[in-house]
Amino acid sequence: MRILLDQFTKSFGRLTVINKMDLEINDGEMIALLGPSGCGKSTTLFAICGIHRVSGGRILFGGKDVSNIPSQQRNVGVVFQSYALYPHLTVAENIGFPLMIRKESKAEIARKVDEIAELVHIGNLLERRPAQLSGGQQQRVALARALVRKPDVLLLDEPLANLDAKLRLEMRSEIRRIQLETGITAVLVTHDQVEAMSMCDRIAIMNEGRIVQIAEPMEMYKNPVSDFVAGFLGNPPIAFVDGVVTDGQFVTASGAMAVSLPFNDGARERKIRLGIRPEFFGPGGAQPVAGKITFVEAQGRETLYDVALEDGQILRSIQTATNTATVGEKVNWGIDVENILLFDEDGVRL
Amino acid sequence: MLRARPDGEVMSGSRILGLLLLAPAFVFVVLFFLAPVVLTAVFALTNMSTATGITGGAYQVTQSGMRELAERHGEQALADALARVRYTVDRTGIDAASVEGASTALVSELDRRLAGQSFDSRRELERAIKKLDNRPRGTRALKSLSALFERSIVNTRFATEEEFFDAVAGLGIELDATQRAALLATTYTGWTWTGENFSRMFSLPDTRRTFLNTIIYVFATLIVFNTGFALVLSIVTHYMPDRPAGIFRAIWLLPRISPPVLYVLLWKWLAWDTGFLSRILVPLGFESRNWMLDNPTNAWVFIVLINGFVGASMGMLIFSAAIRSIPVSLFYASEVDGANRWQQVRYVILPQLRWPILFITCYQSLSLLTSFEYILLATEGGPGGATKVWALAAYLTALNNYAGNLEYGYGAALALVLVLVGVILSLAYLRLFDFKSLVAPPPIEQ
Repeated sequence: MRILLDQFTKSFGRLTVINKMDLEINDGEMIALLGPSGCGKSTTLFAICGIHRVSGGRILFGGKDVSNIPSQQRNVGVVFQSYALYPHLTVAENIGFPLMIRKESKAEIARKVDEIAELVHIGNLLERRPAQLSGGQQQRVALARALVRKPDVLLLDEPLANLDAKLRLEMRSEIRRIQLETGITAVLVTHDQVEAMSMCDRIAIMNEGRIVQIAEPMEMYKNPVSDFVAGFLGNPPIAFVDGVVTDGQFVTASGAMAVSLPFNDGARERKIRLGIRPEFFGPGGAQPVAGKITFVEAQGRETLYDVALEDGQILRSIQTATNTATVGEKVNWGIDVENILLFDEDGVRL
Repeated sequence: MLRARPDGEVMSGSRILGLLLLAPAFVFVVLFFLAPVVLTAVFALTNMSTATGITGGAYQVTQSGMRELAERHGEQALADALARVRYTVDRTGIDAASVEGASTALVSELDRRLAGQSFDSRRELERAIKKLDNRPRGTRALKSLSALFERSIVNTRFATEEEFFDAVAGLGIELDATQRAALLATTYTGWTWTGENFSRMFSLPDTRRTFLNTIIYVFATLIVFNTGFALVLSIVTHYMPDRPAGIFRAIWLLPRISPPVLYVLLWKWLAWDTGFLSRILVPLGFESRNWMLDNPTNAWVFIVLINGFVGASMGMLIFSAAIRSIPVSLFYASEVDGANRWQQVRYVILPQLRWPILFITCYQSLSLLTSFEYILLATEGGPGGATKVWALAAYLTALNNYAGNLEYGYGAALALVLVLVGVILSLAYLRLFDFKSLVAPPPIEQ
């Protein structure tokens, strides 16, 4: 079902957390609300499911305005960060809880619970209690409970935050698989750009209560609208270098780095900010920069380097593990200027 | 460098220190917890009362003792014989006569002719004296002389059994073994060991009533207020905004923290025949009366209210804390799962309160069982014993009543029953709670 946030505003007392936000989520789409802590992404999610009342604007499910409908009647499924399973109920009772509240017949509940448990692969755990399950299993139960009554929208609030790394990887693809199989419209709230990029059709990146950019993951990675977006996406993160450009020649204030850019704003001096992703800085780069390796992080297949320029600014580089450079070594690696991101002094993409 | 010492050495050092630290606690436990229970048990097996005192007694023939001898031991004749006053011309009497100023001739004649003789009445003695040669002149002298020979053991205290039996023998009464035993039982003024307290307890109709009163008191207060109303309060305040909820809880704490005497006095003002209730109700056509003591039903309503208002606060606090410990996401989850408030209470809150409810029920049942101070202050067990509970009965019997004869022994027996019920319930509750499971990780993970 298509979800529409129209001029959605949310305040807590005098504090306005979200001001006139517009967001359209297409039917069957999985969208990520990505942003740092306190950016309003969870507030938005809680407003969509009705736990928070909206302070202004409208929320539409399909064509229906649900702004003033309590969450009990909204038909949303939510997976909470802590899973929020009822500790005294068995897995089957947990999953069947929304149906039991609706007073569906026992046979009907049992049939639906079995069906959904099969979908999320926990058919063998139905008699257990939440305390007897692993984190990943609890996650699947929470997912099943959210999906069992065929909600209009599935809301996921940091669903992977409490899982260990391996399970996180597994559940990432599992949640996506289940979303695709059911074709349900889904909203994923996360502060982890990897989750957002790997699981969702589109990402809405938020900062300070506003949506900064909405785009497909790769599009957003390649064409961030601001340094904030560029800095949020990508791991290891992008490195920023401030300086001035004159006639296509970029130089930092200290002169530690000078490169020529495929960007010419004329003879006038202009302050800009370069965004250099780690994969575009290394031994093979076109325009060399002198620096010293200050940090090496071996990640197995790849190795991550921090390179300090003479004035102390840091560039990051990621390379295949064949490179054997060590900490303290002076290097003269190059920057692939064609793939550099340029921002003006306010951080807006040029 | 520290050298590792042999374990034993370290252990014995810390063990002694541990025992030293425990010693005061041990002394207190023995002195204030165990000794009272043991003493209660000891007293329960005696017939101690104000009349017997708590030290030893003496042997004394009394009216009531003789009645008991006749009625319970079937020794009417012996009782009559002991109670009778007789006149015996003995050494003591003759010596007294000489001291009182009787003539030497009279004294020697008494000694010679009447010594050792016993008379059943004064007239017989006087007749015998009149026959003497040196008889006193005048009726008054005769009367005062005869009075010196009046002999009775009624109301005379004998310190030992021997003296007592000597005196009885001196009356010319011969006793067989059963009579001796019966006599000892009916004349001893001190306390004795007895199991009678318990047989008396089980046979008195009063006991049954007190027992039922206790059941009514404990369960009505417990169910209606200490758990029921406490649950309502904690759930209602949970759904209230923080500030009003805090104020609301504080209000319900007031009865608990106000001095009991003042608190009950306020209730009495409310209920007195010239009190608040009457002031309001009389203009509406109701008769002025003491609403609390007017009839047993009213008394019970007031007793349960007075105790309940005090008792509800503890449950309220425990339950509120327990509700607070439920992760807020569970409420959110149940909300989006479609549960309304009532369903939230039923499916989320109450299941999480199972242990607190059980705990409060157990704890409060024990404390209600032994608490009677509010009843004592409010109705003193009235009207007509309608609100007399077991603990109050024990208190009134042993320590404070209008009749003035405080029956320590019987009171202790009543108290001992409470102690036993309390111990049995405590053990049962401990089992129910399964101490190990309390130490296990909490059921709610967050």
